[in-house]
Amino acid sequence: MAKISAGVATSHVPLIGVGVDQGKQDEAYFKPIFAGYEWTKEWIKKPETKPDVVVLVFNDHASAFGQDIIPTFAIGCGEEFSPADEGWGPRPVPTVKNHPDLAWHIAQSLIIDEFDMTIINEMDVDHGLTVPLSAMFGQPEEWPTLVVPIMVNVVTYPIPSGDRCFRLGQAIKRAVESFPEDLNIQIWGTGGMSHQLQGPRAGLINAEWDQKFLDDLTADPERLCQIPHIEYLRETGSEGIEMVMWLVMLGALTNPKELHRHYHVPASNTALGHIVLENNP
Amino acid sequence: MVKNLKNYKEEFKDIPGTRVFTTELARKGYHLNQFCMSLMKPENRKEWLADEKAYLDGWKVTAEQRDALLARDYNRLLELGGNIYYLAKVFSTDGLSFVQAVSTMTGMSVDDYKAMMDAGGRSPDGVRSIKEGT
Ligand SMILES: [Fe+2]
Repeated sequence: MAKISAGVATSHVPLIGVGVDQGKQDEAYFKPIFAGYEWTKEWIKKPETKPDVVVLVFNDHASAFGQDIIPTFAIGCGEEFSPADEGWGPRPVPTVKNHPDLAWHIAQSLIIDEFDMTIINEMDVDHGLTVPLSAMFGQPEEWPTLVVPIMVNVVTYPIPSGDRCFRLGQAIKRAVESFPEDLNIQIWGTGGMSHQLQGPRAGLINAEWDQKFLDDLTADPERLCQIPHIEYLRETGSEGIEMVMWLVMLGALTNPKELHRHYHVPASNTALGHIVLENNP
Repeated sequence: MVKNLKNYKEEFKDIPGTRVFTTELARKGYHLNQFCMSLMKPENRKEWLADEKAYLDGWKVTAEQRDALLARDYNRLLELGGNIYYLAKVFSTDGLSFVQAVSTMTGMSVDDYKAMMDAGGRSPDGVRSIKEGT
């Protein structure tokens, strides 16, 4: 049977991608950004941890989708997804390969479980999905894992609540664990942490709030599920709301144990956060 | 979790210097944001840069949106329904980074804004709520 072994969360700041693509990891600005991924890069290579498939939760940033279609929750079921041209040419990264049988199975299971997913066969994937892969795997010829993309609308309000995201994660867990193939699955949550990219209040960072959020991923998941949108907006900036996607990851885990944490300010306009959680069902 | 839609949206207006992209703004900004999306194609960027006014004639943007676009007044564009991830296509076409473009909305110079970010960013203290002043 397929099993979820770990959860990984990380900010997906485009600048991390720039750092990898342009080989800037050793520059003074980038050094502390990349230092915090070293542990994970070693860990994820080990035969006992290396995932066969990553269920990767992210959002599109007006790349694959404009305002023409705005799915609240969507799942990528196509065979592969190319890196999106976000206005300056696609990132020089490998095509993302799916496990379509697993993806279709998850889609079916989620819908029967009353999460009415939009099914996507064709889409290009932007920095929201490719930057976390680069942070964890560097610059390989091919990504060393298959990826099932899960997309959440966190741009056009109302976006789903944190609690709803957590419950989607629980439903993903049920879906994965009923798939007959023996697979080591990781679930990744991406985006955040505190940042605001718009208006006179842009540049907001709330390290104290972010650290408490990281603490409570293991200490008090229930509190995190009850955080209303207005608190994210006030405390973590308008784009900090992306952290609801971390709650999808959290919902798919049982008794998570923290293995590694990284927090650094700034990565361009953003507080960078990254955590690795072991699953203990 | 949200029991009352009116209160839910009312609270959004109480955050200083922040515009939450609600359905009203999405409705108002639809053509503006779709215009921005068109700049994802290199041939469209070329056409836009060659003659911005002529390019905008092909889009159903309002006169106010048009003026704000030509003036690169991003705070005004947010007010008129623009969303930052869409407006990013405009400033990227101008060759500006997020840090450079975002700083123009804060009334700070790029250097002052960068210095603020390097020093840990803008503190949330005093900018959580207009009513409470916290
Ligand atoms: Fe994002």
